[in-house]
This record gives sequence, structure tokens and C-alpha cells, in this order.
Amino acid sequence: MTSHLLSIIVGAPALAAVVVMLLPRTHRLGIRIASLVGATISLAGSVFALVSYDGHKGGLQRVEDFPLVPSLGIHLRFAQDGWAGPLLLLTGIIIFAGVLASWTLQKREQEYFVLLLVLVAGVFGVFVSQDVLVFFLFYEIAVLPMYLLIGIWGSSHEVPARGPFRVVWNLFKVGDKQYAAMKLTLMLLVGSAAILVAIFVMYAQAHTSSFDLGDLAAAHYSRRVQIAVFPLLWLGFGTLAGVFPFHTWSPDGHASAPTAVSMLHAGVLMKLGAFGVMRVGMVLLPEGARAWVPIVGAVAAINVLYGAFCAMSQTDLKYIVAYSSVSHMGVVMLGAATLTPAGWNGAVFQMVAHGIMTGLFFALVGLVYERAHTRAIRKMGGFGRVMPGVAAFFTLACLSSLGLPGTAGFVSEFVVFLGAWKSGHYIWTLAGVLGAFVTAIYVLRATRAIFWGPGPTEDFHELKDARRTEWGSLVLLGAGLVVLGVWPRLLLDTIDIGSARYLPMVLAMGGPS
Amino acid sequence: MSDLLALWLPLSVAGLAVLVLLADVLAPPVAVVARGRALGWLTALGLAGIFVATFFVDKTTRTAAHGVYEASAWSLFLQRIFLVAGVLGVLGGLDDVAARTPRRQAEHWITLLFSLLGMVILPGARDLILVVVAFELMSIPLYVLAAWAKNDAKPEERGRAGEAAIKLYLVGATSTAVTLFGLGLLTGMQGTTRLADLGVMPLYPLSSLGLVMLLAGLGYKIGMVPFHMWVPDTYQGASTPFVAFLSVAPKAAGISVVATIFAFGMRDHVAHWVPAVSLFALLSMAVGNVLALPQTDLRRLLGYSGIAQMGYVLVALATAESFGTGMVLFFLVAYLFTNLGAFLVVHAAGHSFESLSGLFRRAPGLALALLCFLLSLAGIPFVVGFWAKLYVFLAAWRAGLVGLVVAGVVLAVLGLFYYLRVLRAAYMTDEGDLPAPKLGVPLKLSIAVCALAVAGFGLWPGPLVDEAARASSALLQHAPETAQLARR
Repeated sequence: MTSHLLSIIVGAPALAAVVVMLLPRTHRLGIRIASLVGATISLAGSVFALVSYDGHKGGLQRVEDFPLVPSLGIHLRFAQDGWAGPLLLLTGIIIFAGVLASWTLQKREQEYFVLLLVLVAGVFGVFVSQDVLVFFLFYEIAVLPMYLLIGIWGSSHEVPARGPFRVVWNLFKVGDKQYAAMKLTLMLLVGSAAILVAIFVMYAQAHTSSFDLGDLAAAHYSRRVQIAVFPLLWLGFGTLAGVFPFHTWSPDGHASAPTAVSMLHAGVLMKLGAFGVMRVGMVLLPEGARAWVPIVGAVAAINVLYGAFCAMSQTDLKYIVAYSSVSHMGVVMLGAATLTPAGWNGAVFQMVAHGIMTGLFFALVGLVYERAHTRAIRKMGGFGRVMPGVAAFFTLACLSSLGLPGTAGFVSEFVVFLGAWKSGHYIWTLAGVLGAFVTAIYVLRATRAIFWGPGPTEDFHELKDARRTEWGSLVLLGAGLVVLGVWPRLLLDTIDIGSARYLPMVLAMGGPS
Repeated sequence: MSDLLALWLPLSVAGLAVLVLLADVLAPPVAVVARGRALGWLTALGLAGIFVATFFVDKTTRTAAHGVYEASAWSLFLQRIFLVAGVLGVLGGLDDVAARTPRRQAEHWITLLFSLLGMVILPGARDLILVVVAFELMSIPLYVLAAWAKNDAKPEERGRAGEAAIKLYLVGATSTAVTLFGLGLLTGMQGTTRLADLGVMPLYPLSSLGLVMLLAGLGYKIGMVPFHMWVPDTYQGASTPFVAFLSVAPKAAGISVVATIFAFGMRDHVAHWVPAVSLFALLSMAVGNVLALPQTDLRRLLGYSGIAQMGYVLVALATAESFGTGMVLFFLVAYLFTNLGAFLVVHAAGHSFESLSGLFRRAPGLALALLCFLLSLAGIPFVVGFWAKLYVFLAAWRAGLVGLVVAGVVLAVLGLFYYLRVLRAAYMTDEGDLPAPKLGVPLKLSIAVCALAVAGFGLWPGPLVDEAARASSALLQHAPETAQLARR
């Protein structure tokens, strides 16, 4: 069975989606249990895949191959490398917690869980695909259900129109969930279009008859092609990773999305973008990557600072977390741009750490919103007295966010900044550290304003703390943050195997071109 | 005898038409309405039977009438498309025709069968005379069918059906005239009507003019920009199940004619027609996608989207090589199920955005099918439309049509916007208290087949792609002796 483990991980949510679709709409508990079973199988599978990955052998393991269109060399080819394990685990944790967080959903549950499971099957598929076209397919599957998930189950809210563009704001109904859904979908699909064109170029230039990532990496592309195509992949995938200035879908999208969808999207989907830039863009086009990294890194540094400053000026809790994601994804891209072992390890570790942290954040924000029916920080205060559990976990997430030693956030930021220093781009390190400092300001300010300080006003005396299934998701995510902070080797060793496999491909001097 | 073997498929369609005709004429005049329905079923089952039979016949290439007609993998592939379109179109329209014209149902199916007869001859025709005759055999019944409900329809639709038919007829007649003029120039200058010999001689300037007129004439039929004006009006005016058929089968037939004349007949003069086809492809994609954006009637929206889809087909045709032409076929299959299904859903649910409101609640199955079709039209992975677009772009990229690919990819993203609008109407609005749409069994069956095909080929496109590639190589790599001699 272990030889088909990856198919099981990818297939379980898809199968669960089919089961949910077939259940009668009124069978509300059955829908939830089927979804949870699918998520549990994937989570257990990804834990097992991570633990049983043979670190001494390294490389691609558990290779599975189904010819999809053999005449064109398109294969459904799954394999696990050093990076896949931790990222699968992250996805497993987030979907498990996400299903638990959606337990109390009241509106059109059947369709909701189907879309959620389809989306997550796509995410799993991306992390293990070794065929660039199948990679792209799963990538699309992961992106597209967002439109419906945000458009139907999302929340609209008032965004005060200010500044010279307020006419345009009112015209497009900024803050409306339909606006957020359409903006997100169209921006990400423009990115996909760029990726598709890049894939065509590589396929045509490689003169191979397959889309296998290994074959494409072995091919030699001329320097001109590499330099021309790399930005397509960087910005195409980067749109999903929130690369400045193509991050604008992210705050609107995350603020409008329902809780579990925000968790999945900020927690996992944005990582797909960064993963794509590294796994496809940099590994397949090493010369292009080497030529472009100064710009990639500089933009990432802007991301870190710009996201942090934007977060500082928000008054809506969800927008704060959304902008902090933009800032933290900058750290991932910064690590990737260093092209050092430390930077790459840190980038992948930050994907996991930030995924869990932001998942926890959005779960908590969802809880607070569900009870208080507001996301405006000014109206809140002293919630810690009525919901101590939520307050404690929120503080934990904040501490990880600002990079307190002992939490996962510290490990990743430290390693990334180390890599940036080693790569000689001292200014990146400076920007990163400054970003972490600004992060400390806004997260601590938000925590104090919401949870600590004088007791809550009359309206909020009746707020309840977390309930049964909600505890489940909070404890799982919170424990993840602490465990990874205290014992980072748990993942770093495996991640290092992946980086050690791919980094030499990028750094090796180009072949005859 | 060998002629009969080569022509078995057109002959069986003709036989079916005659059978339905006789059954309608000779039966005693009792239970007319029920008999009409039964004959509708007979038409659908007969076509389905012929379709099934195509899998059990000998597939070697045969010619009939001294090479005027050639049965090959190419013609068989397209004939299967027409047959499936026929079956699904008949099933989809069964209830509608019974409701509109209960006493004249059989006539409707007979007319449709004769149109189908013209279609199934077209891909095998290797002589321009036969092409023209078969093309007219296909077109004239369609004019009649477009006007079918002119007097029987509800008063508010009456004018529309007439308008639809007149537009289709006038444009069709004009395009036939243009086509014939072009053919006259072409055959007159080249000295032959045989497709295989047409391109042997160098092209004269007048022949090039003839080619352009030919492309323009055929372009009317497939709704290619700038000859697309009739499409949205006719789609809006004629009865929707018939439009479902009209929007796929005749277009596929038109494309097959363009492919046989240009990709096969003019294969040695690629430089004379590829730039024109590329230009029309670009225009169709751009105009179709942009003009679909502001539409408020779903039939018009699908009409413009169909224009854009034809643009993608033309991109594949512009590759002028075997793989690209194969992907034309693959795209046509994808388009067949997707567009036919989408129109049938629109027929069942309603023509306006408002009528889709709350569809997810009132008819979850129908909404799911609509989701499938829209995703496929937009080219989203794991439904067949994605592979269709992907292969077209891949083929075009290989052939060096980089600009067309980039334009196509960008315009496809633009197209997503209006498909998502339809999706939003069906899934995100729930206003007013509309009743659940009532679907008859045949209509349900037809939509289900379309949806299953869209999803099935989307999950596993491999065999179909291979089959399409084989079909096109049967057309293009079978170089006739005369052409080989001339090349030496």
C-alpha cells in the first residue's frame, strides 16, 4: 500500500468530495463526517509519508506513474522529494483544522465541503506532481474553487472609500465579496496564463517529448530564453505568492473569504505560488534565476516592509492578518532569492511555519467574528476576560508572527536572514529585520486592543469561549507552532535534503548555451 | 460494391430519413401526436444505432465514384461528431418540438435528417462539386428548421423566429453565392475540381482571389469574424434546442470543409492561406470574447462565445500540419458536448441571467451540469475544454504561431469573466421564488450525456487525442500520386 501512498493522500479528499456530493443534502452530520474522514486520511498519510521518507537515500521516492496522454508525454507522475513531506503535512493539518473550523457552517454545507475538498486535493497534487503540465492542472484546481467559496460563503463589509480613487472604489464595490472573488480569480488566472506560456516555451525549447520536470531540468535552454521566460514564471506563480505589486487580490480575498477558506488560502495556497517559483522557475531555468534574483530579492524585501506597514494602518482585524501574510510571504521569497542552503531551507520552513500560524490566526479571527459580529478593532476590547482560551492562542500566534524564539516563526526568519546575510545582500537582511520589528508593533498592538486591557463593553459580555471541535483545530495548530519552534529539526532535516537536491541545479554553471 | 461499402454511412442516414418519412406518410391518421413523438425517438435511436455501428465496421480507406468520395479515418471521425450531435440534438428537442408543433413533429425530424445527410457526406467529399451539393443539402433544411415555430409559437416569439430564419437564410444564400463565385474562379484557373489535384499547379492571382472568397463564404457558415453578424440574432430567435444543434453540427461541418479544402487541397500553397486564417482566428477570438462581455441574454452570450471558440479552432487550422489539424477535430468534439449541453441547460432553465437565480437550489443537477459546461467553455482543467485549448495552443506553438497563442491565452482569461458571470447567476443569487424547471426524460438524458462526456474526456483525454491525431494523418499524409509526381 505504501507505494500508492501519494495517490491516497491526493485521492482521499477527491473521493470524499464525491461521497459528499452523493449524500442527501439533509444529511448534515454525514456530510461533515465524510469530509473529516477524507481530511483525516490525508493527514495521517502525510504524517506517515514524512516519517517514512528515507533521508539517507534522498531524491525522489514513492514514484507513481500513470500515463495520461502518452502520445504527448503527459504523465500523472507523483513522487515525494525532501520538500514534499513537510508541505504535505502542512496541507494535511490545515485541511483537518479547516474542516473542524467549518463544523458550525449553516449555509449550503454540501457544496461548501465539496469545493473545499476539491481545492485541497489540488493542493496535495501540486506538491507531489513531477510532470509540469499535471503540476499546472492541480494548481488550477487549487485556485478556481476559490471563486465560488468566496462569492457564496464569504462576507461583504464596508470599506470606507477614501483618497483620489474613491469614485473607482464605489464603482467596483470594493469590500463586496463578489468583487473580492472576481478580482482574486482574474488576477490569479492572468498569472496562470503567464505560466502556461512559459511551459510552452520550455517544452518547445527543450526538444523533449515529455513534460517531466526532470527531463525539462536536464534540457539546455539558451541564456536569452531563460532570462526572458523566468519573469513569466516568477510573476505568474508570484501572483499567488503575493509578490508586490501583484498582491492586491490577497487582502480583499482573505478578508472576504469564510474562515476555513482564509485558512486554506493564506495557509497553503499562497505557498503553492512560492513553491512554484522555486520548484519550477528556479530549478528549470537556473541561468534566468541567477540573473533575476537581485530583483526577486529586492521585491521580496519591499513585500516584507510594505505588507507590514500596510498591516499597521488597518482597522479591520482580517485585513491585518491578510497584510501580515503578504509580509510573511515576502520572507519566503527573500529566502528563495538568496540561493543559499540556509535561505532555501528557511523559505520552505517559513512556508510551513507561516501556514500553521496564519491558519491559527484566521481560525481565531473567525471565532471572534462569529461571536462578536464585528471585525473592527476599535469596537473590541478586553475579550480576554470572556474568552481566555481564544486570547491565549491568539497571543501565541502573534508571538510566532513577530518571531519570538521558541516559536516556529523565529526559526524560519532567523534561517532566512542568515541566508540573506551569507548571500551578501546585507540590505535584504536589514529589510527583513526591520519588517519583523514592524510586525511586532502591529501584532502586539492588535492583541492588546482586542483581548487585553479593560473589560469588554456591555455588548460583548456574553461572548463564549471556543467550543468542542473548535478546540480541536486550535490545539492542533497551536501545538504545531510550539513543537516546530522547539524542535525545528523535525522538518528542517528533510527540507535540507530537498534543498540539497535542487540548489546545486540552480547554482551549477550553465551548460553549453 | 466497393462504392457501396465506402458510402455505407451516408446511405444509412438517407435510409433512416426515408424510413421516418414513409412511417409518417403511410401510417393511418390516428394518434398523430404520439406517433410524432415515437418517430422522434426512432430518429434518435436510429442515429445512435449508426453511431454504434461505426465502431464495428472495417476502417480501411475506400473511395467511391472514382475518388469523388473517400471514406477514411478522417471522414469517420467527423461523421461520428455529426451523429452524436444529431442524437443529442434530437433528444434535447423532442419535448420542445412536441409542444410547439404537435402535429408536424415527424416533418421536423425528417428535415433534420436530410441536413445531417449533407453533413456526413461533407468530410468525405474530395471533389468541389460534391462539396457544394452536400453543403447545400446541409444548409437548406437548416433555414427551414430555423423558421419552424414561426406560426405556432407564442405571440411574443413569433417575430423573432421569422427574423432568425430570414437572417440565417439571407446570410446563408449570400455566402453560398460568394463561395460559388470563389470556387468558379478557383476551378476555372486551376483547371480541375478534384481537391487532390487542385494545388498541383502554381496558383494564379485569380485563384488566390477565389481562395479568399471561398474562405469568406465558408466563414459565414462557421460564424467567423467579420462574417458573424447573424449568429447572435439567429441564436436568440430560433428555438433553443434547435440552436443547440445549429451551434455545433453545421459549424463542425463548415470547419471540416475548410480543413479539407485548405489543409488538404492547398497543402502546397500554405503561404497563400495561412496568413488569412490566422487573421480571422485572431479577429474571431478577440471580437467574440469582447462582445460576449456585455450580453444580457444567455443565448446571445453563448453565440458570441461560440464565435470566440471558432477562433480557437481556426488557430489550430492555421498550423497547416497534421497534428494541428488533428487538434481541430479534438476541439470540435469538446465543443460539441460543451456547447450543446450549455444550450440545452439554457433551454431548460431560461434565457436570462435572472432566470438562473437560485438554480443551485431549484435544480442542483442542472446547476452542476451548467458548471461543467461553463468551466469547459472557459478552459479550466479536468474538463474537456481545457485539453482542447491546451492542445490547440500546443500545436500552434510548435508551428511557430507564437503571437496567436499569446493572444489566445490572454483572451481566454478575458472570456473567463463572462462565464463566471453566468456561474454567479446560477450559484450566488437566490432572488425571487422561481419554480423548479421541469425537464422531460429525453432532455435530461441529453444533458447528462453531455456532462458525462465533458467530465469523462476531461479526466482521460488520451485515447480521444490519439484518435483525432490518427484521423488527421489519414487526411494529410495520404498524398495522392499526382501530387507526388508534380513534386518530383
